[in-house]
Amino acid sequence: MRNKSWLLLLPSLGILLAGIGVLLLKTYPKADYAFAPWLGAVMAAAVVIQVLLQRSRPMVDPWLFPMVLFFSSIGIIMVARLKPVLFIPQLRWLLIGMLVFLLMIRLSNRILSFVEYPYLVGICCLIVLCTPLFLGTEIGGSRNWLVFGPFQVQPSEFGKILIVMFLSAYLADHKNVLMLPSRRFLFLHLPPLRFIAPLLCIWGIAVLMFVIQKDLGSALLFFGIAILMTYMATGNKSYVFLALSFFALSAVASYMMFGHVRVRFNIWLHPWADPNGQAYQVVQSLFAFGSGGVWGTGFAHGHPGLIPEVHTDFIFSAIAEELGLLGAAMVVLAYLLFFYRSIRIAMQCRQDVRILLAAGFAVVFLLQAFIILAGVTKFLPLTGITLPFISYGGSSMVSGFIMLGMLTALSKRENGNG
Amino acid sequence: MVERNIKKYVGRTAIFLLGCFFLLLGYIIYLQTYMAPSLAANPLNQRSAVAEADILRGTILDAQGRKLAVSAQKGERSYPFGASMAPVTGYIGEKIGNAGIEGYANRDLMGMAEDVSRLGPVAQLFVSDRGNDVKLTVDADVQQAAYEALGNRKGAVVVLDAQTGAVLAMVSRPSFDPANIEGQWESLRQQSDGPLLNRASQGLYPPGSTLKVMMADAALKEKATDLQEVFNCTGHMDLGGGYVMQESHGAVHGKVNLEQAVTESCNITFGTLAMRMGASKLDAAFDRFGFRKTFDNEIVESASHLPDFSKLGKGDTAQVGIGQSSLLVTPLRMAMLAAAFANGGVMMRPYLIDEVISPGGVIIKKGSAAKWLEATSAERAALIDSFMENVVQKGTGTAARVNGIRVTGKTGTAENAAGADHAWFIGSAALRHRKIAFAIIVENSGGGGTEAAPIARKIIMSLLDK
Repeated sequence: MRNKSWLLLLPSLGILLAGIGVLLLKTYPKADYAFAPWLGAVMAAAVVIQVLLQRSRPMVDPWLFPMVLFFSSIGIIMVARLKPVLFIPQLRWLLIGMLVFLLMIRLSNRILSFVEYPYLVGICCLIVLCTPLFLGTEIGGSRNWLVFGPFQVQPSEFGKILIVMFLSAYLADHKNVLMLPSRRFLFLHLPPLRFIAPLLCIWGIAVLMFVIQKDLGSALLFFGIAILMTYMATGNKSYVFLALSFFALSAVASYMMFGHVRVRFNIWLHPWADPNGQAYQVVQSLFAFGSGGVWGTGFAHGHPGLIPEVHTDFIFSAIAEELGLLGAAMVVLAYLLFFYRSIRIAMQCRQDVRILLAAGFAVVFLLQAFIILAGVTKFLPLTGITLPFISYGGSSMVSGFIMLGMLTALSKRENGNG
Repeated sequence: MVERNIKKYVGRTAIFLLGCFFLLLGYIIYLQTYMAPSLAANPLNQRSAVAEADILRGTILDAQGRKLAVSAQKGERSYPFGASMAPVTGYIGEKIGNAGIEGYANRDLMGMAEDVSRLGPVAQLFVSDRGNDVKLTVDADVQQAAYEALGNRKGAVVVLDAQTGAVLAMVSRPSFDPANIEGQWESLRQQSDGPLLNRASQGLYPPGSTLKVMMADAALKEKATDLQEVFNCTGHMDLGGGYVMQESHGAVHGKVNLEQAVTESCNITFGTLAMRMGASKLDAAFDRFGFRKTFDNEIVESASHLPDFSKLGKGDTAQVGIGQSSLLVTPLRMAMLAAAFANGGVMMRPYLIDEVISPGGVIIKKGSAAKWLEATSAERAALIDSFMENVVQKGTGTAARVNGIRVTGKTGTAENAAGADHAWFIGSAALRHRKIAFAIIVENSGGGGTEAAPIARKIIMSLLDK
């Protein structure tokens, strides 16, 4: 089986070649072939990586990488179609991502050993997440960017890795304490305050991101990660209850206090009240879903360009319009498959901390996909965040591959057996 | 032991998240199937407009291949014949929508075939960046001749091929220039003489004496009279209740049979015949000639207005006999009535679109002659046709006479609430290669024989060498 895993690369490579072929034919004879070396490098790197994964001793999971390449290739052709100027940058980011992925596997032992120092990770995490609070630049309405010369970095993309690492380490260490209910408060079973202080701290950061950076999507993601990981480590529903009440309270408070939260919520409730104003983006996204229908308009034959920011947060709407329900459902199912595979890796781990790490990364991917898919379909209020591996974005691509590298490294059979 | 617990909780969390995702997937399916048609058709959805901007709109051609509406480049449209052809071509505008052939054949002109839109991506195979051409049955020469013959008077002309139903001309005055319509929209809408109304197929008028040919046919069919009966026209007829029917211009026709009554347009005779037939037989006559039947195609028409004959008094029934009372019909329907007598009693379904031609020159759709209804028998049609020939030879319609051509006709001078009488002339002409039928109305201008019949002559002259 695993020796045939390279076969799973074929659909992705086919998508890349067919998609770019369609775009070339549309611009022929004025086509610009500057992307060709980059595309060649990406495809070669993909094949090399897959062969390395297949041959790796100790054995690692060879199935995650082809699935990610499936997302990436759909992302690449959609970006090439929606924003041709970002086509080569996106190929470059994918290539960088794959190199980082290799590096992560190679250095996995050392990096995973960081979890021995949870508080160090915690402090790093705090620093990474808090820098944009002071030094951040506002891009696209959210003040969550750091600008270094020509590069723009979204620290929250990397913060989520650190937060998963910190939570895994901390929760695995303190699980026993956290699971011993020493205090009863109404029907809640809670340990002493000092043990749950780090959790409160993360919730607090999430709220700060929410309020100061207006980065609702990341805030929601961090909050979700914190709740779900705490539950996975302790099984104590009191935390979940506490967190949800905290969330509800802060949601109500921010609805009352902050205009941008109120706007998002009102758009969700009444998108047709102001379809050409504040709800324009969401309404255009819904039109994309409707115009796509079951079969889609065909790649490069729709008009997803009518949706602002379609190449980042709204890329799924473009997929739904041009590739139809078939394409959209395929992407959704591929995320589920990826999640299933990641959770399996978690289930095969032997140490608490590794289980939590793998499950944490699995949850990050799925939760992030859920937040943005629910947002662009108006299933939930829209909170902007990238669609993992598909949306345009360097930070998102690289941090995705870092997590993928960790997941793959975690799939190594511990102690060489099992 | 503890580790196993963690795995249990991880499993629960995974199932919870999977559940959320499946709910979301269900919602996406709902959005892209059940909700899709209404979202795609939402007026705020600019996608179809954007798609149209990508396509070079096809050309509208006349029967000889002359361009009636043409786009030299995307998003632009010109109309070489301007106002004279406007009732046929209609117009297209971003904010005001579209009308006429531009509206009816929009999908053809945009190169979109209706049945492939459900095929998804496969439909792209059938889409080109150039729309199809639409070739009409209209002949620009005839249209121009009729338009000019109307002059600055309000009115309408319809010319049909009596044997096929093909519309050769459809003129309405006043008209508008479809090229600049968007800029002038508000003023055109507010203009009291209604330039946007296509009088030829949507203007409603009392038919007046032109209806007498149908009454003559009905009276013979219902055996209300025969060819021998002699009517005594004293110039007026007392209908009781203080109502007196009169001949126009105080004429007295004396002793006339049916043939002479048609030729001389005798009101007394047809008033008498209408009263003899009564409500049910009048009803049957209007039904036979299709006045209650609609045809659903590229020609947008107004439905005729027929009174409830059973509720009419004696005087109003007599008025129906001479095309008055509250009867209202379109010029198109009167041209079809004339065509029925010229075509052995068979009424053809009128049509405007001859061919839809792909950019590659392939004929995608073909308009064709179709029998619409059998209005009357071939014998009676021939008889009425000969009466109508008399009208042109020696009756009220001599102004329509053309040497060497058999022209038939019936004049009408319709009283109306809006002012002076409308002048009518309907009839047919046997040309070298075809038989045409026509209806002409000139609003508020007076007698049909003097105002409308000369226009028929000009139309026939424009077709002489075709």
